Amino acid sequence: MALTRREFMSTAAAVPFIHLRNPHRVYKTALIGSGWWGKNILKEAVAAGQTKVVALCDVDASAIEVATDQVKQWNGDSPKGYVDYREMLDKEKPEIVIIATPDHWHALTTIAAVKAGAHVFVEKPTGHTVHESRAMLKAAKESGKVVQVGLHRRIGPHHVGALKFLKDGGAGQVGMVRLFAHYGGGLEKPSPNAAVPEGMNWDLYCGPSQMRPFNRRIHPGGWRQFLDFGNGQLGDWGVHWLDQVLAWTDETAPKRVYSTGGRQIKGKPVLNEKEQTTDAPDHQVAVYEFESFTCTWEHRQFADNKAEKHQIGAYFYGTKGTLHIGWRDGWTFHPANPKEKELHEDSQLQEPDGHNIKLLWADFLESLGGSRAPVAGIERAHRSSVLPLLGMLSWRLGRSVQWDGEKEEIVGDAEANAMLKRPYRAPWVYPT
Amino acid sequence: MKRPAPRYSLIVLLAAATVASADDWPHWRGPNRNGISAETGWLDTWPASGPPIAWKAEVGVGFSSFAVANGRVVTIGYANDQDSVVCLDAEKGTVLWRHSYDADLGNKFFEGGPTSTPTVDSGRVYTIGREGDVFCFDAATGKVIWTVNLQKDGGYPVPAWGFGGSPLVFENLLVLNVGDAGVALDKATGKVVWKSAATEPGYSTPLPMKRGDETHLLLGSARSYVAVNARSGREAWRVKWVTQYNVNAADPVVDGDRVFISTGYQKGCALLQLGKSEPEIVVQSRVLRTQMNPAVLEGGHLYAVDGDTTEKTALKCVEFASGTEKWSRPLTGSGAVTIADHRLIVLGGTGELMIAPVSSESFTPTARANVLTGKCWTVPVLANGRIYCRNAEGTVVCVDVRKK
Repeated sequence: MALTRREFMSTAAAVPFIHLRNPHRVYKTALIGSGWWGKNILKEAVAAGQTKVVALCDVDASAIEVATDQVKQWNGDSPKGYVDYREMLDKEKPEIVIIATPDHWHALTTIAAVKAGAHVFVEKPTGHTVHESRAMLKAAKESGKVVQVGLHRRIGPHHVGALKFLKDGGAGQVGMVRLFAHYGGGLEKPSPNAAVPEGMNWDLYCGPSQMRPFNRRIHPGGWRQFLDFGNGQLGDWGVHWLDQVLAWTDETAPKRVYSTGGRQIKGKPVLNEKEQTTDAPDHQVAVYEFESFTCTWEHRQFADNKAEKHQIGAYFYGTKGTLHIGWRDGWTFHPANPKEKELHEDSQLQEPDGHNIKLLWADFLESLGGSRAPVAGIERAHRSSVLPLLGMLSWRLGRSVQWDGEKEEIVGDAEANAMLKRPYRAPWVYPT
Repeated sequence: MKRPAPRYSLIVLLAAATVASADDWPHWRGPNRNGISAETGWLDTWPASGPPIAWKAEVGVGFSSFAVANGRVVTIGYANDQDSVVCLDAEKGTVLWRHSYDADLGNKFFEGGPTSTPTVDSGRVYTIGREGDVFCFDAATGKVIWTVNLQKDGGYPVPAWGFGGSPLVFENLLVLNVGDAGVALDKATGKVVWKSAATEPGYSTPLPMKRGDETHLLLGSARSYVAVNARSGREAWRVKWVTQYNVNAADPVVDGDRVFISTGYQKGCALLQLGKSEPEIVVQSRVLRTQMNPAVLEGGHLYAVDGDTTEKTALKCVEFASGTEKWSRPLTGSGAVTIADHRLIVLGGTGELMIAPVSSESFTPTARANVLTGKCWTVPVLANGRIYCRNAEGTVVCVDVRKK
């Protein structure tokens, strides 16, 4: 009789968890994108004890130098530094590749890594445009390699608790979901362009995207608000919450997507030889029409205030009450019946950055045995990543799009369908 | 309670020199540029209700500390798309003058706003904004004597978090941590006297150090710490020091011919021994990782906040020569430390002000009070019986510690 993993777990309660994996299996691991977040993931990988860090790849030599020093502190490994991921894959033949580049590099690096025989842990969202994400999914399937995507809210304890509460009918029938992430801010003054810093390969940073002058607002860490490299708040924060929606509902895709927003507060985007601003919207609303409910996203980067109880999260509005899933504030259920008490579960996050990468990495390691897909595997993560990308597409297009989730096509709109891809700068070729 | 053995010779010496002396604090790191005030005769114990708050003021978002001179307090803050250099009456907190100019908040991973501190010298106030706006003001009136923008006019690149080092007046020069190894302007006119390559600087304030007949200035550059001749700008030595995001921010700490450098992001610290040729690293460790504010050295020991604002931070005492940690006390969300009259003045990261005797044996506060809320990373300043503290939002409190 074959035991399911759950059954096995329940009969083997006395066996330490680690015994389910091969504790002696150590994976040659490489990191592509060795900045703040990449190192957060790598640090968890090292802490899990099944990692030998063989390579650190980054287009910024300073980042490699700093990361090398930090890895040495963590476990004594001496990884080699690489500027070009292709050379790294070729020479090091890593068994696991962690990818934490800006979004516009996710597809090419992931596809190259799985083709080179590595399992991949790549940051969210999967692609920068829909067809990149699809090409990543295809390459993963063809290679048979495991691709886990950094959607750690799939496994974060309070998220799992909240979704169980919802699925058990705790909130009754949910007809509307509201997702949001609000921050402060104001008018954005252009920042001066600058010479490319010593040790930085800016051409490779821009990669398949257009070349633009170097600017400190972009690197380090500012690229999320530049649409060449990221997809603004919807691509960064929105994907987590839209992923929660898909983790909850039985539906796999919305029927229609519409988004509007702008930069009325930050001001018009600037990009010239002298200076630049970001160009992602400073506020945005996106509407996702599903069969059984309507879902909205909103973000704002101004008017930080105390009028609204929560700044980040999701409200699920059901017939029995409203569930808020937040970040550090855990989840809270506000019953419709005034006689019932509020329910609450605290978050259990890793600080300082408030994530659950440790759990997601453990899940990734377990899935490498091949017995099951990881919780944020490429297939699910692809479906979730498509949602912010469609929102951004509608925002650029200025009209709603009807989405055929089965065929992954926009119905009857050739102009919109063309935007499921983007032009690549030579010699980089858009993946298929 | 065990007390540290008194150092009679030092106390006698200082007592003779500084009987109940009150002091100005005219620029970053105080009169001797070491984070120490000699001021005595102020209250290091408070009633349970806390010390009297003389006044509060709002100066705008930022992390600029205070220059206190001739009854005036000068700092910088951001509001309504502008930076404002604000001059307050040191006793009353009223605004004596204010000068505003267009600026970007620059809130990349933090609240943003200006991070450098004004410098007062000979009736002038000198400031530098994050985007390279350098000003010379008349200290009494706030009238602009001259202004120059080193990014626009000089082509100097702005580092990721803007120019953060404070201006240094050296003889006739105003020296700024701009470019690879500093830029010196004629302090009377703003004209360039010497300069370095137009590449990224770090965030420290130029620190003078005597070397034989010369004065060297020590600066944190993007990927190194560098010493230049103060009069000519000629490079004397350089130590490669790569910190994450090029944040070489904390000023070096000098003792004789030894230089202590320390930066955050898990980088750590090193003690350099200067000789005739290149400096030699004699001790290197991760015992102190000062992300922003430099350590203060007294009695052979460093006192500093260790760790990044985003991680666990601690107030630490570390022996200068050996790098040995003597004690460590956790802080909430970073903070800053200064010393006056052999007492640590510590502002915790969430606004708790603490006074404790300088001791390498323990941290034992004699007074503590919550004087601010929000995020406090800015060094508190004691001058003339008042301690000035601010938070990121720009609330300034003046704590009255005068003996009545």
